[in-house]
Amino acid sequence: MEKEQIGALWQTILNEAELTMPRATFVTWFKPTEVIELDGETLRLAVNNIFAKNQFEKKFDSKIRKIMKDNGFTAPIVEYIIKGKKTTGSEESIKIDGMKAVKNTAKAKSNPTGLNPKYRFDNFVVGGCNDLAHAASQAAAAMPGKKYNPIFIYGNSGLGKTHLIQAIGNEVLEKFPDKSVLYVTAETFGNEYIDFVRFKKDRNFSSKYRGVDVLIIDDIQFIAGKTKTQEEFFNTFNSLHQTDKQIVISADRPPAEIPDLADRLKTRFQMGMTIDVGMPDYETRCAIINTKAQASGIELTPDIVDFLANNIQTNIRELEGALNQILAYCEMRRDTPTMDLAIGLIGNIRNSRPKHITAKQIIDKTANYFDLKADELKSPARNKHITEPRQIAMYLLRSELKMSFPNIARELGRSDHTTAIHSINKMELEIKLDSMRREQISTIRERLYV
Amino acid sequence: MKVILTQEKLAKALAIVGRIASPRTTLPILSNILIKAEENQLILSATNLEVAITETISAKVEKNGVITVPAKLLMEFVANLPKVNVTLTLADDKLSVVAGNYKSTINTMDAEDYPEIPDIVAKNKITIPADLFKKSVANTSLVASSDTTRPVLTGVYIYVFEGDLYFVATDGYRLAEKKVMPYSDEISMIVPAATLNDVSRILGDDTKEIEIGFSDDQISFEIDDTVITSRLVSGNFINYRQLIPTKTDVKAVLSRSEFVRVVKVSELFARESAGSIVMTADSKKSLVNVHSIVSQIGENSNEIEATVSGDGTVTLNSKFLLDCLGQIEGENIKIQFSGKLAPILIVGENDKNYKHIIMPVKS
Repeated sequence: MEKEQIGALWQTILNEAELTMPRATFVTWFKPTEVIELDGETLRLAVNNIFAKNQFEKKFDSKIRKIMKDNGFTAPIVEYIIKGKKTTGSEESIKIDGMKAVKNTAKAKSNPTGLNPKYRFDNFVVGGCNDLAHAASQAAAAMPGKKYNPIFIYGNSGLGKTHLIQAIGNEVLEKFPDKSVLYVTAETFGNEYIDFVRFKKDRNFSSKYRGVDVLIIDDIQFIAGKTKTQEEFFNTFNSLHQTDKQIVISADRPPAEIPDLADRLKTRFQMGMTIDVGMPDYETRCAIINTKAQASGIELTPDIVDFLANNIQTNIRELEGALNQILAYCEMRRDTPTMDLAIGLIGNIRNSRPKHITAKQIIDKTANYFDLKADELKSPARNKHITEPRQIAMYLLRSELKMSFPNIARELGRSDHTTAIHSINKMELEIKLDSMRREQISTIRERLYV
Repeated sequence: MKVILTQEKLAKALAIVGRIASPRTTLPILSNILIKAEENQLILSATNLEVAITETISAKVEKNGVITVPAKLLMEFVANLPKVNVTLTLADDKLSVVAGNYKSTINTMDAEDYPEIPDIVAKNKITIPADLFKKSVANTSLVASSDTTRPVLTGVYIYVFEGDLYFVATDGYRLAEKKVMPYSDEISMIVPAATLNDVSRILGDDTKEIEIGFSDDQISFEIDDTVITSRLVSGNFINYRQLIPTKTDVKAVLSRSEFVRVVKVSELFARESAGSIVMTADSKKSLVNVHSIVSQIGENSNEIEATVSGDGTVTLNSKFLLDCLGQIEGENIKIQFSGKLAPILIVGENDKNYKHIIMPVKS
């Protein structure tokens, strides 16, 4: 079974489980679980530890098997395997799983271009918002390095930048099989550079990047502020550009607006072609939905297409997610998509996080977490066991409700708003440095939305 | 459910089990305690999904039943009762607790929703004298890390090497290795340090031996009426043996109690530098000097007589050093180091079984 289908099956199980149990139970047990593989009728799940394994075997096993039966399995078996277990485990099945997992990752890594063959020009939907970017990309792919160099494509997240730039790579490979193409995200580039400097690990780091015919860098904004990485990228860029190798770059904003980016890089990025990818208009959204649905072999009625296109307006990735959910559901049930189904499922996504939380709820839940009373948080007391929870409450008021500092101070009985500013800054720092603090805050936040 | 037992028994059992129940999780029922009455015994359990404690005590059971109630409330209520018989009765989803003139009714949650307590699946067993266990845990769990992003370091590595059982823990800055006793079977597991500390705390003074059962995923400890079951930490422990220095440039033997005093004094002047103090061994004068500076306040320098071979200086964290000195036994200790960057090895002069290593502070 394909990986995506297993994912869809697991998603179906999760959806059903979520509906039949309290949210806290679902979050505690099901959320940290992952699918390892589906082998015939046997589904293997990775669980956190022996306690989770026990809970699944004794309490959830029949439920999961029933959902699988509803979805066309005749005699499903579910095996629960503890995550990160030593591969020297004595049970044979665990050994095999461990080895398989290693093999799979090795395979993924051995893809030398980094490209996903799924992204091609012919399945890219062109509309008013992206026709220029599409045309420029095609021109670059037809004559790599000759026409527009570099190509710089920018736009908000989820609008198809990655699709376009990978399509350039795939097209070049198809037309000129002897040319070498490399696709990396700026983050990967940065990490590899750091490894290279720190451990001298990847000795052919420079030759890897400077020896290609087409270099595609995704999300270049992530090298902002990293001086040394920028320097290395600058040298790579020059070396490629001088030998007329094609460079393709994507970012979430135009070069001039990327903060902490060296000026010499900014000017170089603007040398070739700088084009933006905009929000898709209604017609483009409809076309995208139809293309994707057809690719999965399912016909959608115009009213469903209209419903999706109208409900999810700003982000193609979200649109695809919603569509995939409907398609996966129908595939499982061997059903045809209906309007009711679409409303049921999509309505679901949109309302997953109720937004109406009050300041009182935040203070109460924080106090409750630390075994304190809300009044104690608001009291003048300055003992550490009270001040820390108070600071956390302030942080949550800011991060969840975007309250103003003076209001936050007032909510917690402080007269001075600088107290709130100090507390929130402190928490922001601690969240970065202290894993315990991070966990505390995420647990409280989780409870707020339970 | 209807159960009658003495206040002392119930209070003691609740005190052991109740401390595991915590309100600080996403699952609210985990702040409850699971109470089960059957055939002349009352079984109390609690878990935080990493450790579970089950306490079985004899009681007069008039009617079987099972329910969960808030641990902290029940624990504190029972602890404050006079020493009389306590009657627990379940009626209309409420647990009534009656003792003499005291009476409480406590709201309950369905036991069906309580997580399963893992059964004991002990493939292997090992028995360790209680005193030795306690000491080995104290010696090592002290240096285990609390950083959950590196799970392996939050545990104590319990394993057999060349016919001896070892406890080892490290947080990446220091390491403690305790050779516990000769043992021939193969063992290799990482037990959460928190679990071991819980077990140590529960071990009474009159317990002579502790029986530990373990399988690939879990470990359990049986102490009298109490059973503690815990997950094991997944993963492989770091290959630490190469870190223990075998040959060092400097060796110094000195009095432990005097050294503790010197380090404590020096620590007062090391607050600004996050506790870093400078230790210098001088073989000609047979002295070890401990020195610390606070730029705003002043400085401190103390000398202590020692048997020294080799000269050298090293900077280290005073808290780590005091932690270590608190664990080592005997009159004299031996400190060994080479240069400013290599690990510092500290042992008791006549104790070959406990090795403590501290990484220097890079200055």
